Amino acid sequence: MILETQNLTKQFDGKGGFKDVNISIDSGMVFGFLGPNGAGKSTFVKTMVGLLYPTSGFAWIDGFPIGTIESKRQIGFLPENFKYHDWMTGKELMKFHAELCKMKNPYKKIEELFELVKLKGHENKKVKNYSKGMQQRIGLAIALLNDPKVIFLDEPTSALDPVGRIDVREIIKRLKDDGKTVFLNSHLLSEVEMVCDEVAIINHGHVIAEGKLENLLSKNTYVEMVISDYDSQLIEKISKLAYNVVFKDGKLTFKVKDKDSIPNIAKTIVDSGAKLYQLDSKTSSLEDLFINIVGKDEDVC
Amino acid sequence: MLTITKYTIKEMVKKRAFLLIAILTVGYLFIYGYGLSLAFHNNNQVVNNTPNIAKILLESQLLSAGLYFSNFIVAFLIVLTSVGAVSGDVESGAIYALLYKPLKRHEYVLGKFIGLSIIITVYSTLLFLSVIGLNIAFGTKVYLGLGNVFRALFFFDLGPVVLLSLVVASSSIMSTVNTGVLAVMTYGIAMIGGILEQMGSFFTDATSQGLSNVGIITSLILPTDVIFRKMNAELLTQNTGLSFLAQGPFGGTSQPSPAMFVYIAFYICFLLYYGTRKFEKRDL
Ligand SMILES: Nc1ncnc2c1ncn2[C@@H]1O[C@H](COP(=O)(O)OP(=O)(O)OP(=O)(O)O)[C@@H](O)[C@H]1O
Ligand SMILES: [Mg+2]
Repeated sequence: MILETQNLTKQFDGKGGFKDVNISIDSGMVFGFLGPNGAGKSTFVKTMVGLLYPTSGFAWIDGFPIGTIESKRQIGFLPENFKYHDWMTGKELMKFHAELCKMKNPYKKIEELFELVKLKGHENKKVKNYSKGMQQRIGLAIALLNDPKVIFLDEPTSALDPVGRIDVREIIKRLKDDGKTVFLNSHLLSEVEMVCDEVAIINHGHVIAEGKLENLLSKNTYVEMVISDYDSQLIEKISKLAYNVVFKDGKLTFKVKDKDSIPNIAKTIVDSGAKLYQLDSKTSSLEDLFINIVGKDEDVC
Repeated sequence: MLTITKYTIKEMVKKRAFLLIAILTVGYLFIYGYGLSLAFHNNNQVVNNTPNIAKILLESQLLSAGLYFSNFIVAFLIVLTSVGAVSGDVESGAIYALLYKPLKRHEYVLGKFIGLSIIITVYSTLLFLSVIGLNIAFGTKVYLGLGNVFRALFFFDLGPVVLLSLVVASSSIMSTVNTGVLAVMTYGIAMIGGILEQMGSFFTDATSQGLSNVGIITSLILPTDVIFRKMNAELLTQNTGLSFLAQGPFGGTSQPSPAMFVYIAFYICFLLYYGTRKFEKRDL
């Protein structure tokens, strides 16, 4: 476990923030933290990097309690409202942050990072004169300066153009290949879907779903079949194996909790003597899942 | 911490209109020098060569006034450049990228304080030496021994550092605007308290005591004025014990007690301790 929390709670005068979050992340994972606006994502990340003090609960990064110097040595962080000392040039800014990380000879690393975030040629421009997207890029470079084990990215692509978003995705994949752990705050679901191994969904400060992305998604496998020569008994049997069963225009549609029940259902149909012409299964997108889960949670609230 | 100090100084030099301050300071010194040349020249014509007490009093008054306003300018610059020392970074959000790093929060605050102190001390020293230099250049009759000048310089620089400790501590706890208000108001209170205490010497016992108490209280709140008076005393008291202390609002008639200086040392340490401690515990 590179990152672990135990009933971690941060509230502002009893309101907002997040409550009783229990998360554990294995080393080398890309973890997506999703939730609607104001759900508590940024508050969580800021607590993990030691900017906010938790109200209660515990958390560790690489075994060190959050907020300690040892845990801070392991992390990189790109804040949501990235803002830097803009009177410096890009290179000076990187050097400043490298000095804060007590790096001995940062020049090679700085050059590499300028290359990585595609800011080559802008090193000697004042950060003040960077565009918003360029500022986010240099923020990402700063987050990677000290070669951290865990990188917290709070909506790292909010200011980036489509190409920039792809670049960030590539960078995240590369970090994963290097064995780094990435904690990604985002509400860009398609983005999360493409890079994350695990996700947690948070709403009103509570984690309402968590797990491996593939498991969460396959919980909601949607199946469509075209059959003929069936009887009502068969429909009844299927209703027991699946849910949301609808039969219309010769098409049978239903959802299954587990992909493995699909062959089972197909066998039931064939065994009953009905004819199976077509079978399509679709795992729902993260977006469907998100809307579904958050929507249900809103109903409860 | 030293990194923060280094970049605080860099930032001041690059960003905070250093050139403008330099030019305007030269302008200020020029006008002061012009005033001195007129006053001293005029005097020389009226009086003959023998040093005359009245003339020395006038000249020491001019010297004190020059230092008083220089001190005032330094205080002003401290407020203008340092109110956002910490709160500016907090308000802009630049602090996030700094404090997730393995950098202790008190190192950040103290680093800022040291950096600003260095700049302010350099500036204040230059200003002090220029004012003294101008007085000597225009042939003041006030005796300015090297020892006196250096002791006075120490106190001339101490005042700004005290004010800076208040500003940095406040900036670590409150917003930039509130820090500005606090610094200006406190400085004003210290100033009026100092003037009232001086005036006390013109009155009879009870009034004098009352005014002096006001002065003591205000110098406990912010001891800048009392330090200025100490500076004046150091500058103008000769080894023989003969004092040319000028009367009036810029003078140093009533002198601070040694206990006051123990208090001042404690004051700086306490403010910095309190400010950093509050900052350590703060949610950002
Ligand atoms: N300093 C603060 N004081 C009081 N309440 C706060 C503070 N910071 C955040 N909150 C509250 O905590 C909740 C979570 O805010 P947070 O910024 O973590 O949301 P988020 O999930 O990052 O949202 P977004 O997607 O908009 O970035 C919100 O209700 C917000 O009002
Ligand atoms: Mg947020």
